[in-house]
Amino acid sequence: MGAPLQSVAVAARTLALLWGKELVGVNHCVGHIEMGREITGAENPVVLYVSGGNTQVIAYASQRYRIFGEALDIAVGNCLDRFARTLRISNEPAPGYNIEQMAKLGRCLVDLPYAVKGMDCSFSGILASVDILAEKLEAGEREGAGKGWRDEGSGQLVTREDLCFSLQETVFAMLVEITERAMAHVGSRQVLIVGGVGSNERLQEMMGIMARDRGGSVFATDERFCIDNGIMIAHAGLLAYRTGEVTRLEDSTCTQRFRTDEVFVKWRD
Amino acid sequence: MTPLQTFHLAHLPPDLAIHVALYTDVQNAPILRDQLLQGNPDFEYALIEASVILSTTHVLAAVFRAANDHLYARLKSRNVHSEIVFSLGANNNIAQSLRTFGITSTTTNLLVIKLSTDPGITALTVSEHLSTSIQGTQVDFNDATLTNMADIAKVRKLYKLGGVEEDGSKGKRRRKDGTEEGSGLIDGASIKDSERVRKELEVAILGLMALKGVV
Amino acid sequence: MNHPPDPPQDPLPPPFTHNQPTPTLLTQGAEALLYRTHFLTPSHPCALKYRPSKPYRHPILDKRLTRHRILSEARTLVKCRREGVSVPGVLALDAEGDGASGGWMMMEWIEGRTVREVLIEGAKRRKDDRDEGVGEEWEEGMRLMMGKIGRVVGRMHEVGVCHGDLTTSNMMLRPLDKVQQNGEATNGEHVRRFGEILQGDIVLIDFGLAGQSLQDEDKAVDLYVLERAFGSTHPEAEEGFQEVLRIYGDSYKGAKVVLKRLEEVRMRGRKRSMLG
Repeated sequence: MGAPLQSVAVAARTLALLWGKELVGVNHCVGHIEMGREITGAENPVVLYVSGGNTQVIAYASQRYRIFGEALDIAVGNCLDRFARTLRISNEPAPGYNIEQMAKLGRCLVDLPYAVKGMDCSFSGILASVDILAEKLEAGEREGAGKGWRDEGSGQLVTREDLCFSLQETVFAMLVEITERAMAHVGSRQVLIVGGVGSNERLQEMMGIMARDRGGSVFATDERFCIDNGIMIAHAGLLAYRTGEVTRLEDSTCTQRFRTDEVFVKWRD
Repeated sequence: MTPLQTFHLAHLPPDLAIHVALYTDVQNAPILRDQLLQGNPDFEYALIEASVILSTTHVLAAVFRAANDHLYARLKSRNVHSEIVFSLGANNNIAQSLRTFGITSTTTNLLVIKLSTDPGITALTVSEHLSTSIQGTQVDFNDATLTNMADIAKVRKLYKLGGVEEDGSKGKRRRKDGTEEGSGLIDGASIKDSERVRKELEVAILGLMALKGVV
Repeated sequence: MNHPPDPPQDPLPPPFTHNQPTPTLLTQGAEALLYRTHFLTPSHPCALKYRPSKPYRHPILDKRLTRHRILSEARTLVKCRREGVSVPGVLALDAEGDGASGGWMMMEWIEGRTVREVLIEGAKRRKDDRDEGVGEEWEEGMRLMMGKIGRVVGRMHEVGVCHGDLTTSNMMLRPLDKVQQNGEATNGEHVRRFGEILQGDIVLIDFGLAGQSLQDEDKAVDLYVLERAFGSTHPEAEEGFQEVLRIYGDSYKGAKVVLKRLEEVRMRGRKRSMLG
């Protein structure tokens, strides 16, 4: 992600100098959150930000978007992508999308490592197990018709679709669980899902069931705004600008280590 | 003659009566045991060796578990009465539990339990049958009587709750404050209060019964 | 954790539908509901922890998780108690549940108040009272209590258990038999009696997030969570917390290494900036 960010920074600085305009630096995640709030009208939701590079559960408190829980190792989107690669699932149009479609055809739930630790979760365990499972699957396929890896419960042959199904059911349950914990902690009933993985319908469905059971609801932005886009940055930037926030040229670097909770959210009280 | 004692336990259906009788000086243990093993339907009781029972709570906890599993059709053993004996054990080995906690041919202190699993079973029918079947002296079922009958060393051994006398202090490391490792209350020889030790033993046993081998 | 109660999600599981009176709901977390009821007879009060099934999860996964968590918590409690760590005893459990309902566990009822409540009330009373005698009694009681906390946490860590949510809400002060709880009297006496509450036993509760670990990191994080809880909720007792660490450091071999590790954890900060 380094090179595109650098290019953007250069372009932004150039335009700012060219046209004599002020610069406003924006946190990527805050961009997602504010876009989500704007589009859905959700007032004060707990936010699940899930993408290839991020997995965080965020709630607003005292002018900060505070991180209540997160993935301790790799982001969920990254986990899905690598899972797809190991199982030789196509990248077109996107690995996550293909996993979602294949999962709809899956039936059998394979036992995968489930790792929620307090308010956080971790995906490296599941990823480690995928290599083993892929091998098991392929070994089974090599054995030929009728033989191969059968599920203990149903006796059916385990397929790639089953693995996709199992992966989703497991990692999404983990995400819903840490979101629910944050909701219980702050006393919120609304959930907002932002980030690319948020466009997954099964995740939305599961989150919706949990939110409804708590007497609340889930908001998911549609595809156009779930995935990274420019307008979310512009929108968040405008919110900040209106409170007088500007970024000096010398401070206008791009950093991937910009934590969401470092931003002073002056435009909310 | 001490009358049969009937209990109703919390959270079990109000009509599920639990009849308990405790005997000492039992003379015909081998016959009773035989009837039980043969599966004589008139002899469907939990016949328990009283010397391995620590307290009323100890055995009633087993009754609770067995009754609960019976109500939800999850019995692992033949019937709810054998399940009571099985529930006393800390693992899933049915045969072992029955051997350890159940009546033996040398049993003299006997605890008898019968659940009213159908309306035909009443305190009257049970006490009538027992009075003709058990050759022994009926005593009150309470903690005092059970304490006198209990073989504590045997109980500890059964549940692997060996105290300092069993393990010895060899191999036990000492912590900075002078106490020994593995110094749960039931291990501490320094604890003079036998009532507290007994309470701790009971707590430990209930925990082991609840976990049932998942350790 | 104080938050507006959510609508009760689930009815009680069997067999807890067979009773009058119905168990009393105490708290409702994300994962479990805690009730007060009794075990076997009305003279034996107990706590009932119920983990309802979660409809958003695949039923097989749900059963597996519920079962695992109930057993894990029970196992941890039994181990702790066996090793002399002051925790509630496990009385009974059903990890499978019946059909669609979740699992449950009954535990020994611990009489008393949480350390959190006692400290908050203590701070309030001291602020309201200007009596000098009060100060010393309270200070001494606090010091001894902190020591007890240090000792019990040390023992827990020594046997390889990390609590996972070590806050003052998860510690009970169980009164000694002779201590009265209401502390109603005149002049400085009422605070002295309240001060006697501090002489009770410390009992650790809620092992729902606990794990078995001998890692210094996990133990240090446990201590850090407690430290932050003191810092944010009981700032006036922050100094007293040093006594917790001091006694902890002396409580077992390897404790001092954990304290060193705690320094590192402090500097890193937990990833979350919000605790307690």
